[in-house]
Amino acid sequence: MVALVIALALFFDFTNGFHDTANAMATPIATGAIKPKTAVTLAAILNLVGAFLSTEVAKTVSGGIIREGSDGVQITPDIIFAGLMGAILWNMITWLKGLPSSSSHALFGGLIGAAIAGIGFNSINLEGLLQKVILPAIFAPLIAGIVAYVCTRLAYLLTSRHDPETGSKLTQKRGGFRTGQIFTSSLVALAHGTNDAQKTMGIITLVLIAAGTQETGSGPQFWVIAACAFAIAIGTYAGGWRIIRTMGAGLTEVKPAQGFAAETSTASAILASSHLGFALSTTQVASGSVIGSGMGRRGTSVRWSMVGKIALGWLFTLPAAGLVGALTALLVKTGVIGVLIAAVAGTSAVLFMFFYSRKSAVGHHNAIEVEEAGQAVRFAKKKARARARAHAKAKAEADAKAAASRNAPPEAESDTVTTKDVQR
Amino acid sequence: MKWLELVTVAGATLASAVTVVVLYSLGVRLTAIAGDAQASPGFKKSLAYVCFGLCGVAVLFGLYLIIPYFSG
Repeated sequence: MVALVIALALFFDFTNGFHDTANAMATPIATGAIKPKTAVTLAAILNLVGAFLSTEVAKTVSGGIIREGSDGVQITPDIIFAGLMGAILWNMITWLKGLPSSSSHALFGGLIGAAIAGIGFNSINLEGLLQKVILPAIFAPLIAGIVAYVCTRLAYLLTSRHDPETGSKLTQKRGGFRTGQIFTSSLVALAHGTNDAQKTMGIITLVLIAAGTQETGSGPQFWVIAACAFAIAIGTYAGGWRIIRTMGAGLTEVKPAQGFAAETSTASAILASSHLGFALSTTQVASGSVIGSGMGRRGTSVRWSMVGKIALGWLFTLPAAGLVGALTALLVKTGVIGVLIAAVAGTSAVLFMFFYSRKSAVGHHNAIEVEEAGQAVRFAKKKARARARAHAKAKAEADAKAAASRNAPPEAESDTVTTKDVQR
Repeated sequence: MKWLELVTVAGATLASAVTVVVLYSLGVRLTAIAGDAQASPGFKKSLAYVCFGLCGVAVLFGLYLIIPYFSG
C-alpha cells in the first residue's frame, strides 16, 4: 500500500506539472516571446530548481480542510490513495478538455470525498473548506483579473504615441515587452516549483511516517525530494499543450504588452498570496489575469463561452474529484481485492484518456500557431488590411470599383513589408 | 474569516504589478522615443535602461521572496 501511494503521489506530481505549465508559459508562447519547446524546457528546469529549493514539509496533508491530528481523525494511507486517485483522474479529464483547473483543489476534492466515504462527514472542517478553497476560488480570478485589466490599460496608455500634428501613430516598440515576459513567466514557474512539488513531498513523507519507516517530525528524505522534483519537471516538460492552447489562444488573443501585464499580475498575486497569508491557486490567478488583460486591450474580445467552460470546470473540481475519491475509498475498504480493482480501474482510465487524446494530438508544433515570421506578418496584417481598406475606399471614390479591387491586394502586400520593417 | 489578509493580498498585488508594468512601459516608451531621429537619443536611452534596471530589481525581490533560504 505504501509503495502504491508513493507511485500514485509521484504520478499526481507529474500531472500537476503538465497541467500547470500553461500558467507560466502560455502567454509568452502565444506572443512569440519564447519558442514553445524552449519555454517548456525553461519551465521544467525552473520547476526542478524550485522543488529543490523548498523542502519544508507541511504538517498536514489537507492543510486544515480535514480535521487531522491528535484531536481529529487519522488520515490513513488508504484515504490518501483514494484522494490521489480522484485528483489524478480529474486532472486528466480537465487536461483532455483543455481546461485550466487547480491541481491542489482537485487533491482537496479527492481527499474530502475519500474522508467522507472512509471516515464520515464530521471529519470535514467546513470553515477551513470555505476559507481555503471556496473563497479563494472566487477571489483569485477576480483580484488577478482586475489587476491585469488595470495593468494592461496602463501599459497601452504609456506606450501609445501619436504625432501631435498629424495624429498618426509613431513607432511604439511594444515588441520590447517580450523580453520582460520571459522574466515574469520564469518567476511564475519557479514559484510553482517551490509550492507544488512540496505538496507531494509532504504527502509521501506523511505516508512514510504513518508506515513507521520514518521518524515523526523529520523532513522529507533526499530520494523523496529528488523523485518529486523530477516528476514535476518531467511533467512540466511534457507540457499540457491543450491547456496552453486554451490559456494562450482560447480565452483571448494575446499581444506582448498585454501578455506582460498578465504575467506580472500573476507573479505579483502568487508572491503576495504566499507571503501575506491568503493562499490563492496559481491556475485560477493565471486564468483571471489572462481574462482581465484581454478585457483591458482595445480591439480584442474575450471568448466568454470558454470562460464559462472553465468556470464550470472549477465548480465541478471539488465534487467530481470527491466522487472518484469516495468511490475509491469505498473500494479500498473492502480489502486487498478492492485496492487492486481501484488501481487497475484507475490505471486503465488514465491509459484510455491518454490514447483517446492521441486521436487529436496537440503538441508543441500546433498548440498555438505562432512562428517568428508568421507572427510578425500577422501583426502587420491588421494594419495593412485597414490601410488597404482605406486605399480601396479612396480609389473607389475616384475610379471605377473594379480598378480598386484589382489594386488592393498588391497594396496590402507592400504595406505588410513596410510595417514589418518598422517593427523590427 | 481572513478578510484583512484578503484585502492585503489584493492591495499588494495591485501595487506591485502596477509599479512593474508602469516602469517597464516607460522603458519601452523611452526606447521608442530614443529610436526616433532626435538630437540626444543617448539620454533617453539611458533613462530607459534605468527603468528596465528597476524592473530587474523587482524581479530580484521576487526571487528573494520565492527562495526560502533568504526569507528564513
